[in-house]
Amino acid sequence: MIQARNLRKGFATVVAVDDVSFVAPDGAVTGVLGPNGAGKTTSLRMVYGLLKPDSGTVEIDGLDVAADPLKAQERLGVLPDVSGLYPRLTAREHIRYFGNLHGMFGSELEAHIDRWIAMLDLTAVADRRVAGFSHGERTKVALARALVHEPQNILLDEPTNGLDVMSTRAVRTVIRRLRSEGRCVLFSSHVMQEVSALCDCVVVMGRGHVVAAGTTEELLALTETTNLEDAFVRLVGPQGETA
Amino acid sequence: MNLRRTLNVTRKELVDGFRDRRALYTILFSTLVGPMVVGLMFSKTAGQEKAAQEIQVPVVGREHAPLLISWLEQQEGVQLTQGPAGAEEAVRESVVDMVLVIEKDFGEKFRDSRPAPVKVVSDATRNSARSKVRKLNGLLGRFSNETGSLRLMARGVNPVVASALKVEQVEVSSAQQRVGMMLGFIPMFLLVATFSAGMQIATDSTAGERERGSLEPLLLNPIPRWQLLAGKWLAAALSSFGGMMGTLLVTAFVMSRLSLEDIGIRLQLGGTQMLLMVAAMWPMALIAPAIQMYLACYARSFKEAQGYMAFLVFAATAPGVLTTFYPASSMPWMRWLPIQGQYIMGTEILSGKAPSVVLLVTTALVAMAVAAFFLHLATRMFSSEKIIFGR
Repeated sequence: MIQARNLRKGFATVVAVDDVSFVAPDGAVTGVLGPNGAGKTTSLRMVYGLLKPDSGTVEIDGLDVAADPLKAQERLGVLPDVSGLYPRLTAREHIRYFGNLHGMFGSELEAHIDRWIAMLDLTAVADRRVAGFSHGERTKVALARALVHEPQNILLDEPTNGLDVMSTRAVRTVIRRLRSEGRCVLFSSHVMQEVSALCDCVVVMGRGHVVAAGTTEELLALTETTNLEDAFVRLVGPQGETA
Repeated sequence: MNLRRTLNVTRKELVDGFRDRRALYTILFSTLVGPMVVGLMFSKTAGQEKAAQEIQVPVVGREHAPLLISWLEQQEGVQLTQGPAGAEEAVRESVVDMVLVIEKDFGEKFRDSRPAPVKVVSDATRNSARSKVRKLNGLLGRFSNETGSLRLMARGVNPVVASALKVEQVEVSSAQQRVGMMLGFIPMFLLVATFSAGMQIATDSTAGERERGSLEPLLLNPIPRWQLLAGKWLAAALSSFGGMMGTLLVTAFVMSRLSLEDIGIRLQLGGTQMLLMVAAMWPMALIAPAIQMYLACYARSFKEAQGYMAFLVFAATAPGVLTTFYPASSMPWMRWLPIQGQYIMGTEILSGKAPSVVLLVTTALVAMAVAAFFLHLATRMFSSEKIIFGR
């Protein structure tokens, strides 16, 4: 479970995130929805401990991220907004490297690697260097290496951004599976369909604030609209798009 | 400490680094170029010294000084030839290296026991001729002394009275001098190889991570930053050390191919010297990657980082160059300095002076401290939000 309380983060001249609180429970997919520049990525970076909040706290399964980031990261699997692979390593080596860094070795690790390669349909390219991989294959490799240590909490920053249909389906399947295994999935997106297709609960952000939070139905009721897109526009306001 | 995780970082960086073909060629080149240059310099000097042992002296006006001519002809390794008419022209235009000109009034003055004039025409800017000219001058000086002594004896004077001083020449022959200078090049090339061989991994694992965007996911793994950097540093240091060893071995091989002994050059690069060199210089492989990694943290891209690295090699070799060409600027305390110390010890070992164990241990400890300091700085950089996300 991920719990963010009153997060605030400012950069040189702007306050990127102000008083953001949300909860992402276990066994559910929580979507952070917002236009570009709403503070989604900044919020997630504070959750996974690479940005220090100016104020506020993040707890992962009750562990304070700021107090013990390494302990919290053990329980966290993250797909950041750039996949960031090493062109000269193979897909399998990427996954193994991150497994090693999580303290996994030997046949136990190899079993996990094989499982994720199969699940993400990477078998055919597993032992190729990633230099020539398509965007979809790269994202899947990045996803597999983020999940190889079977974390309880999963953070995905725009996971299906720019993916083709097949890759998008593969990623969605993985997300649903993680939920059914009782894990906590938190992902950000600016794509409405993505959020409505997957999320049990939506946190809508605009201009560094949480504008609304709840299930899709709750948001529709709140805004008296019939689809999430209208609800989103109503909540964020058209000016939000330019922020 | 999670040694196993750190070593896995090291292994990953080594695998990644050695799959980079272009980087490998760079390392190979930097390892080979030094020994080749050193080998060329030595063989050139050897050739010049050999040439000086057998000199051809073009003589103009030999009819004026039959005694001098026959004395010269008796000397070993001297061959007299007919000199060209325009002596100065011929030397200037490199037709000959030098000309011995015997003046018309030589015979008359020689008979009167007055200084008899001869001219040695040469070009001081021509390196290849220098040792030959020196040899000819030496011969003329000896003839002058011997003749002078005979004259004194003929007048009933002991020739010893003509020598107010007894100057003992402790001769460091020209070849030895130049060899001494060249000895400085071997540690220099070792230094350059150390810096260039580790550079690839040092920059790719820092600036390269930032450029690729792989730093953010990497830092999400539960391993303390300093252990992560220590793993990367170890990979770079191993590569660095490999480059140093490669250069040393190739240099030793090249030197063993050159027959330097028969021209009187004694160079110490046997098994013992090799071991001593490694013992003295290996700490450079600790320092170089640590500084490189710290500097590379400032670079936004791999390319930018390489620019810094070039400057770093220059900065690291500059003090060594200085002490090679101005030996007076080398002070004993400089041996305690990182990099410069290793360089000085390397030069001393090659000229047959072994450093003490205390010196070896303390300089290694200094190097470790310096490496740890720069690693600490790099760790701080890796914890900065600006560095992690600022691309």
